[in-house]
Amino acid sequence: MSKWFARLAALGVALLVAGQGATAALAQDPAAGKKTVRVGATQAMDSMNPFLAVRLVSTSIHRWMYGYLTVPDSKTLQPSPDLAESWTTSEDGLTWTFKIRAAKWSDGKPVTADDAAWTFNKMMTDEAAKTANGPAVENFESVTASGQDLTIKLKAPQASMLDNPVPIMPKHAWESVTDMANYDAEKYPTVSSGPYFAVEHKKDQYVKLQANPNYWRGKPKIDELQVIFYDNPQAAIAGLKNGDIDLIGRLSPPEFQAIQNDPNIEAWNTQGRRAAYLQINHGATTTDDKPVGDGHPALKDVKVRQALHHAIDKQKLVDEVQNGLAKPADGSIVPPMYTDFFWEASGDTKVGYDPAKANQILDDAGYKKGADGVRTMPDGDRKLEFRFSIHTDTPIEDKLAEYLTGFFKEIGITLTTKKLDSSKFSEETGVTGLFDIAISGWSVNPDPEEVFATHLCSRRPAPGGEGGGTESFFCDETFEKLYQEQLKELDRPKRAEILKQMQERLYTQAPIIAIYYPNDLEGYRKDRITSITPIPEDKGLLYGGSGYWPFYTVDVKATATGGGATGGGSNTGLIVGIVGGVVVVGLGAFLLTRRRKSTADERE
Amino acid sequence: MTTPLEAAEPAVAQAAGPGDDRSTGRGTLQYALSKAGGALFSIAMVIVGTFFLFRLLPGDPVRNLAQGRNMTPAQLDLERRRLGLDKPLIDQFFDFVGDTLRLDLGTSYEYKRPVLDLIGERLGPTLLLAGTGLVIAVSLGIWQGARAGWRHGSRFDRFSTGASLVLWSVPTFWLGLLLMMVFGVGIGPIPGLFPFRGIESVDAPDGFAYLLDVASHMVLPCLTLVAVVYAQYLLVMRSSLLEEVSQDYVTVARAKGLTDDDVRRRHAMPNALLPTVTLVFMRVGFVVGGAVTVETIYTWPGLGQLFYEAVRVPDFTLMQGTFMLITVAVILMNTLADVVYHVLDPRVRAA
Repeated sequence: MSKWFARLAALGVALLVAGQGATAALAQDPAAGKKTVRVGATQAMDSMNPFLAVRLVSTSIHRWMYGYLTVPDSKTLQPSPDLAESWTTSEDGLTWTFKIRAAKWSDGKPVTADDAAWTFNKMMTDEAAKTANGPAVENFESVTASGQDLTIKLKAPQASMLDNPVPIMPKHAWESVTDMANYDAEKYPTVSSGPYFAVEHKKDQYVKLQANPNYWRGKPKIDELQVIFYDNPQAAIAGLKNGDIDLIGRLSPPEFQAIQNDPNIEAWNTQGRRAAYLQINHGATTTDDKPVGDGHPALKDVKVRQALHHAIDKQKLVDEVQNGLAKPADGSIVPPMYTDFFWEASGDTKVGYDPAKANQILDDAGYKKGADGVRTMPDGDRKLEFRFSIHTDTPIEDKLAEYLTGFFKEIGITLTTKKLDSSKFSEETGVTGLFDIAISGWSVNPDPEEVFATHLCSRRPAPGGEGGGTESFFCDETFEKLYQEQLKELDRPKRAEILKQMQERLYTQAPIIAIYYPNDLEGYRKDRITSITPIPEDKGLLYGGSGYWPFYTVDVKATATGGGATGGGSNTGLIVGIVGGVVVVGLGAFLLTRRRKSTADERE
Repeated sequence: MTTPLEAAEPAVAQAAGPGDDRSTGRGTLQYALSKAGGALFSIAMVIVGTFFLFRLLPGDPVRNLAQGRNMTPAQLDLERRRLGLDKPLIDQFFDFVGDTLRLDLGTSYEYKRPVLDLIGERLGPTLLLAGTGLVIAVSLGIWQGARAGWRHGSRFDRFSTGASLVLWSVPTFWLGLLLMMVFGVGIGPIPGLFPFRGIESVDAPDGFAYLLDVASHMVLPCLTLVAVVYAQYLLVMRSSLLEEVSQDYVTVARAKGLTDDDVRRRHAMPNALLPTVTLVFMRVGFVVGGAVTVETIYTWPGLGQLFYEAVRVPDFTLMQGTFMLITVAVILMNTLADVVYHVLDPRVRAA
């Protein structure tokens, strides 16, 4: 019996100490008086090594930590100076000379052209260092440095040189790395040249960045920037509502609607940088022009593809599938936020929603309707029955499939949905060509060259079946010629004209049909964040822009002494826990004594 | 709550039989060795099976890495070579077996770090969460199960069996989100009580306060875990106690004038515990695998979360590594359960 009381007493003491520990924690909050912004992310970092990291969240964080040769201007998105304060190009466009600004690394050492040269040369000579940004140096012949001058010689002209995605790394901190493939770069504090440097990373939990006092534009307004990882979006939304985080980007329409009516949250809804499109198997081929896959023969006919385009009510898709949070696409792969490069169909080229016209086109082309209302091929009896490949577990794509099935039924075409897991999906729609129509999309960078490259002949899979990264199996002479032209065109307005012609080609040939441009949906606590400037500054993006600008300009209320919302929450929890524990222990003690007593009574 | 476990210890000694440990010692050792041999064979099969299972999965891992990124064909080939996927299957197989025996589980495609390191980092949090959850679930299950079985048909029996079965049928993900909304975010005037992300606060304090911080982070995941699984212990305990209630020795014990509690605790429960012990050992094996769903809801940095991430990417080496770890743990624990069962129950030895 006494044994039991001793245990209870010990437990009681433990709880008492626990209570005091909690109050002690309250009294000395380390975050007091500091300006901290906490960003939520539903993806964790794959690597802190910028040569290896490929996840979106990692490249975003690296953009806040490292300088680049140039960055998109916060107003116009045109290339503007970053670590390179000016640059010149030779007559033939093959030699670029960048003047590196006299900036300092976060450890006080000067930034030199040698750092940049080391970074690019490392990537050109070490295969492992190519993992993240290999294509960016593919066209480099040589890179040399002298003082603050960096000279890059190219193999062929390349207009997108000023959108180089490679962060410049400090040679003095990195040249000792021998095995780049296995280097995790978990050394803190990091040596950085961007607005922030990392001080701590708990894997799959959070990253802590601190303001870089040596940043050449000046120190950011806040002291600390934390990126906190959540495994599931619902928890992240709850975290925002609860005040555990201050900002979260990349929301889906239903997630966005969940925060829309919260009085403390600013719901951010602007045009996005993504285009969603249907990929049509117009006769998939490999790089040696041999057909692959089992695409429906009718889709080889451009008239059928155009009829499909006419049959799609894009406004309805936006309203019903994206809950109105998107813009119907009257263009191609470049979304309207890139005003310089965006092309919009007008006049005769414009393919509007017109089922009657779609039916007319198909009737004229000889695709006759059978007794069951389904059309057949002109030269046979194969029915126009297409498969629509989507991903498993994506409710939005399910809904899209439902509407498309309805639209195509109107023009005598049957659509059946085929759900695939992501790896099977990318294989069938990108390599083996086992599809008719598939959902796809691409987030476009300020320089849209890479999205155009995904529609080149050379991107089709090799004869051996090895993938090449095509988004459409497109191989069109006109398109190829225009692509080569834009590479050489260093005059921005002229180059934009060529890129627009390429979009028009994609639009009329319809290997892909753009359906809508999803909006950039984010949310932040307006009771915490006092100011933040998007990129571009006029109705731009915050986290979704994956640039440094919003997080350089962000300002926030200083944390009040005595702990933030999180501290308060967990302390309330502790108090409740302690009270609960005491009640349980007390009750147990009471029952126990009673029981013992009754046993004693019975024994007597 | 700790009462049943307390009672179990002397009971184990009793069940092991009076003082014939030495004579059976060799028999047990022999038995254990044969079981260990069987386990080793199973593990070897797992290694072979793992290799082919993960090669049979659809999809090219390299293409997956390239999804939504701008990668040239040359770069894809480079990746393929880096991952050793360009070699013939048979060479890949021997490399794999050799490396596995040297405890080299390869390098994760996604994290570019050794799989063993990744697993090592996650083991602690997983053992903490799943271990605590298991202890609570087992204690609660045995305690409630014993009482429910003893007073079979009573209000307590109906209530606890009903409640545990309802929780058992609830989808873990749904219950987790519900608990998160109620106790994490708070509803109406009730504020959020417990944190629901991770194992510690981002600005976690040091020392003793750190332990409290971790403890408060454990409340919701643990609650979810226990609520969903404790029914199985309860039901097994209840049904095996039901069998004992009508036995002659229980009647004898009552006839001796022992209190109801003593009859239950000292006589019926030790005998009824055996099936539960088996169940517990089997579950201990799975503890290593963590609770995938619970860890993903609450962003708990354990093995379950790692496995989930690996499947999502998909990261084949990481999947292989975690898969092997979990199967090996289950095999080892099952073997151990066999041996312990043998020691605990003289009837098994006699047979």
